[in-house]
Amino acid sequence: MSRGARASVAGMLFAIAVGLVVFVAMAFLRTEPPTVDLASGHQAGKPVDLTLQTVGSIGYGIHPEWVSYLVKDQQGKWIHSTLWNLPAHTTVHVTILQYDSGSPIRNQQRGLVTGVGGAMLNGKRLTNVNSYEGNGIGHTFSVPSLGINVPLVGVAGNAKDFCNVAPCTMQEAHNTVTFTFKTPGVGQYHWQCFVPCGLGYLYGNGGPMQTIGYMDGLLKVVA
Amino acid sequence: MASTITTPVAGNTAAPPPAQRVRNRPAWASQHLGTALIGAVAGYAFGHWIGNVIGAGYTVPQSNGENDVAVVLGLALGALGYLIGIGAFNYPLAKLIGREPLPEVAEEGWQRYFRFNLDHKVVGMQYVIVSLLFLFTGGLLAMAIRTELLNPTNHFFGAGTYIAVVGEHGTIMMMMASSVVIGPLGNWLVPLMIGSRRMAFPRVEATSVWLFSAGYLVILTALPLGGFPTGWTGYAPLQTQSTAGMDSYLVGFAIIGMGMILAGLNLGATIINYRAPGMTWGRVPIFVWSVLATTALLVFATPTLVVAGLFGILDRTALTAFYVNEHGGSSFLWENLFWFFGHPEVYIMALPGFGIVGEILPVFSRKPLFAYKVGAAGMLGVALLSFFVWQHHLFQSGINPDMRPLFMLTTELISIPTGFIFLVGLGTLWKARIRFEPPMLFALAVYFNFLIGGVTGVFLSDVPVNVTVHGSFFVLAHFHYTIMGGLIFAFFGGLYYWLPKMTGKTLNRKLAIWHFWIMFVFFNLTFFPMFIIGLLGQPRRVFEYATRLQGLNDFSSVSAYILGSSFLIFAFNFVWSIYIAPKRAESNPWGSRGLEWQVPTPVPHYNFERLPVVVADPYHYDEPDQGVADFGTFSEPALSEVAAPGEQVPPADVQSPDDSGDLDPRPPIV
Repeated sequence: MSRGARASVAGMLFAIAVGLVVFVAMAFLRTEPPTVDLASGHQAGKPVDLTLQTVGSIGYGIHPEWVSYLVKDQQGKWIHSTLWNLPAHTTVHVTILQYDSGSPIRNQQRGLVTGVGGAMLNGKRLTNVNSYEGNGIGHTFSVPSLGINVPLVGVAGNAKDFCNVAPCTMQEAHNTVTFTFKTPGVGQYHWQCFVPCGLGYLYGNGGPMQTIGYMDGLLKVVA
Repeated sequence: MASTITTPVAGNTAAPPPAQRVRNRPAWASQHLGTALIGAVAGYAFGHWIGNVIGAGYTVPQSNGENDVAVVLGLALGALGYLIGIGAFNYPLAKLIGREPLPEVAEEGWQRYFRFNLDHKVVGMQYVIVSLLFLFTGGLLAMAIRTELLNPTNHFFGAGTYIAVVGEHGTIMMMMASSVVIGPLGNWLVPLMIGSRRMAFPRVEATSVWLFSAGYLVILTALPLGGFPTGWTGYAPLQTQSTAGMDSYLVGFAIIGMGMILAGLNLGATIINYRAPGMTWGRVPIFVWSVLATTALLVFATPTLVVAGLFGILDRTALTAFYVNEHGGSSFLWENLFWFFGHPEVYIMALPGFGIVGEILPVFSRKPLFAYKVGAAGMLGVALLSFFVWQHHLFQSGINPDMRPLFMLTTELISIPTGFIFLVGLGTLWKARIRFEPPMLFALAVYFNFLIGGVTGVFLSDVPVNVTVHGSFFVLAHFHYTIMGGLIFAFFGGLYYWLPKMTGKTLNRKLAIWHFWIMFVFFNLTFFPMFIIGLLGQPRRVFEYATRLQGLNDFSSVSAYILGSSFLIFAFNFVWSIYIAPKRAESNPWGSRGLEWQVPTPVPHYNFERLPVVVADPYHYDEPDQGVADFGTFSEPALSEVAAPGEQVPPADVQSPDDSGDLDPRPPIV
């Protein structure tokens, strides 16, 4: 084989290697859920609406059995993501539609509402939830660095119209939790559910609890 | 001279009988890497199916949609299929059913590097290729890490992906580093250095390299399975909670561990039993001493990792509770078992690097190796002490505080034999006329880098400092200075030094020097700032950091990119000099006295036409007229006198070189 032919073979193998690297990077490493933009078009001084739902199993994708949050984008479409762009120093009206069941929780402190204003559960004032009463607590919406914790009361697990596949509709059994908080300055703020709800994982803390896009996400506060 | 021959070498002449029946299948129909990969895919599919049959009805897979039984069985049977596909079990299975296996013939050409081959030189080159694959894969992941750390708040990856990349990088690099010298250079060089025609257990040796490559494929599957969030240390209980990528980690490490144990057993047995006449312990090359010390670590420490991994696999699949506190187990058990392997692992990586440097320094300073016996003793001392220091990794992780001073003491003690090895090098360089050839440059860099890594290691062994900088970039910088600054520089020094003998081709010197200077300068510019970053409080494995540290991180990242490019220079040089425009190498281009340099290039299939009788150690550069070995007077018949033209192998019934008249009791290689 001539030197040129050998160089061509080596070059071809190198190109294949580069192709593989790019494929792996794009297929497995850059697969973060989309960031839902709630900041663009925002008028200064006006509040922003953030509408979320929690479902017991997402019903599709690579982990259909996993519990998950979803977010409604500006066009009103439900998106499977926990990454949200929010404008800085702005009041956020949050509505969470809780479709999952609940249970008593280990740490009763997670039943306290902290760091937010005007918290309501199905139209009634919400300050503290005793997880041993009723359907218990299904999830929380917690942002540790902002001191935010809001318990989400579970629906009855045996409800006739219990939602099994996301996105759930208003006709299915749910609790509505509303509250407001104010975004801080520009930065990224980690939020997650603090109820160990990763069913099938040790202590309930694995799987969706550790995975961005399910029960773990970022508030991306932008200027 | 005869009085110096004290080493028992009864098995050294063992060689296969004449080939009577040989494989006559065409190349495409025989077993090779392609059939191994087919076996791997078939094994994975079968294992996954079995796992689904077993596990699908249970609560856990139904709850989280993830059947770890299927994943683990898929990976394990995939690895088994890979070994079956390459032909690793042909011989034992034939024996098992009472049939005489077909003898292997000595194979020439590039195809032999893709087969189950029993020649230690082919296995060594196979290890070179797989090690470089590991190194480049891990290196690319390192570039990904540095890219993410360019900015403290704008992210290239998600947080979960970042920790998966970090874990994959660390695990791949540790797997690679555990075998990067022992595998390629240990297997290729040890028989030649001790005057042997073969390894003690060629099949075990060949199996180890194919296990090594199987481990590479298994750990790669972690990414598509979602990665693992534990970093390379795999701590429980996070290990037990993690998704299927963790199965790849546990199965991959178990496979690599089994390969390490086999490699250690084979190399240890070879060094002890297969030395040439006259190759007394006082004449064994320092690299061989380093390999011998390492084999002890491989054989005694690695089984702990394999068993610990199996416990983890059982916890995740059979729902045992070895590492589950609430069910009677202990997550702390993993930490202990892991580091009982993990700290000796550090010396599994470091000692062969020291051995390489010990070989290179005398050649390029034209002086005897200073205090040779102290160096050998230092290596054995490090190997022994390395079993008594593991708890220093747990100073912050629940260790009984009263035990801290003990492990601080043992850790500081290990710096003494390490210092022996260091002083051996410095003594050799003292007043020497140094030739600054590429291997020597890399060897000198090992001393510079390891000094920084070693001194910061002494700091880290100290409990108050350890408590302060635990889990920070300071620790990260320290171990990169020891492993990359020590081992990887030594590995490249060794490659530049021995590749002319291994391949028969000369590497381009200018490119090698460019490679060295870029790698050396930018290695230090990449990792030295990390000491500062760590002292300023940046934790490891976290993708967000304080904005005030962005400048230092960016400096480190840009340096890392240039450091990474230096490996491309090596890759280009390797491919250009060996494949595209090969230039024949002299048989002893460096003027070395090592036994391995006294044989022709390319090295004959059975290494030595006549078994050498070693008359001196290989470091007498102050006595240039003194020979190293007698290659012509030994009474054993030469290969050419007993093998018919065209035959690759001599008969087995040659007399043992101790002249006792005993025949070799071991079976021939068939």
